[in-house]
Amino acid sequence: MKKYVLISIALFSAILFLNFNNTDNSQPAKTPASPEFSIPDDVQQIIDNSCYGCHNSDSKNKKGKMKLKFDELGDLKTHKLVGKLAKISEDIKEDEMPPKKFLKNYPESELTAEQKDLFINWAESTAKSLSE
Amino acid sequence: MSKGKIIWSIIIAVVIIIQLIPSGKPDVIESNKNDLLVNNHIPDSVSHILKNACYDCHSNETIYPWYAYIAPVSWLVSRDTKIGRENLNFSEWELLSKMDKAKMLDEIVDEVESGAMPMSIYVVMHPEAKLSMSDRDMIMNWADDFGEKLFE
Ligand code: HEC
Ligand code: HEC
Repeated sequence: MKKYVLISIALFSAILFLNFNNTDNSQPAKTPASPEFSIPDDVQQIIDNSCYGCHNSDSKNKKGKMKLKFDELGDLKTHKLVGKLAKISEDIKEDEMPPKKFLKNYPESELTAEQKDLFINWAESTAKSLSE
Repeated sequence: MSKGKIIWSIIIAVVIIIQLIPSGKPDVIESNKNDLLVNNHIPDSVSHILKNACYDCHSNETIYPWYAYIAPVSWLVSRDTKIGRENLNFSEWELLSKMDKAKMLDEIVDEVESGAMPMSIYVVMHPEAKLSMSDRDMIMNWADDFGEKLFE
């Protein structure tokens, strides 16, 4: 009988220990730097059409990937995110992106005036609200 | 006059005449109340690099060397200073919105990391502006920290 009690206590403490260890190991949930950041569907659609191929974490375009990854924007610290959003708005305004050479081969990726407005408005208003 | 003498006379005349064309060098303003270094606690090591390697083109406190007064070099210096200030002017830093400050600090990291800044032609004439690896790291780390603090 004593044996069973001992075994039960041992098991019980083992479970407790495992549980304890578990909670101990679990990192505090990775808080994104800017929890309120998300990309609305209409903007995401423009990104998917005209930008994502070069600017994602698996992109073969090394330079594009190094400068901007749309799938990891939300992981940036606020100051970096705001900087990138401001740069996005500037590059679209000045027709720097998508690159002219790319548009020659993929004219369907060119942004329409409405798409530009939508994209710029989103980038700037998000950057501004993150700056408050 | 020999042919050689004529050619030399023409060259000298041209050099003299082009001195009369105004180079349009941007003015120097010594005291700038919106300057980055005036309004913020920037470590000496960083402000030293910015002053030495960037301020001639990216502030109102340009120190023009003697050759900046002689055409055609003066035209190049004027152009770089003018365009440099238009893109980024540390003397007017405090006038930028927080968003534009964040963008500019990110650009500084990019430009210094890639070695695009300071412009290589400038470094040829200003060896003290050549950045070592640790100088670059220092500027990049500072720009990142400084940006982060703006949003705390
Ligand atoms: C064909 C590939 C390609 C496409 C498509 C593309 N980009 Fe780029 N992008 C690049 C490259 C390459 C760079 C780096 C340019 C450089 O460093 O000179 C870049 C740089 C940028 C930068 C500068 C980032 C920084 O921190 O300096 C922004 C912003 C940007 N792109 C936004 C966009 C947007 C928005 C779109 C879609 C509308 C887009 N790009 C489409 C290749 C692309
Ligand atoms: C000889 C003059 C000169 C010096 C010195 C110089 N720059 Fe520049 N800088 C320029 C010019 C001109 C441009 C604009 C380049 C262009 O648009 O092609 C520029 C552009 C930049 C930009 C891009 C701004 C933007 O809006 O995209 C940054 C950032 C920058 N410089 C940072 C620096 C830093 C940091 C230093 C010192 C380590 C430095 N520069 C030294 C002339 C200079």
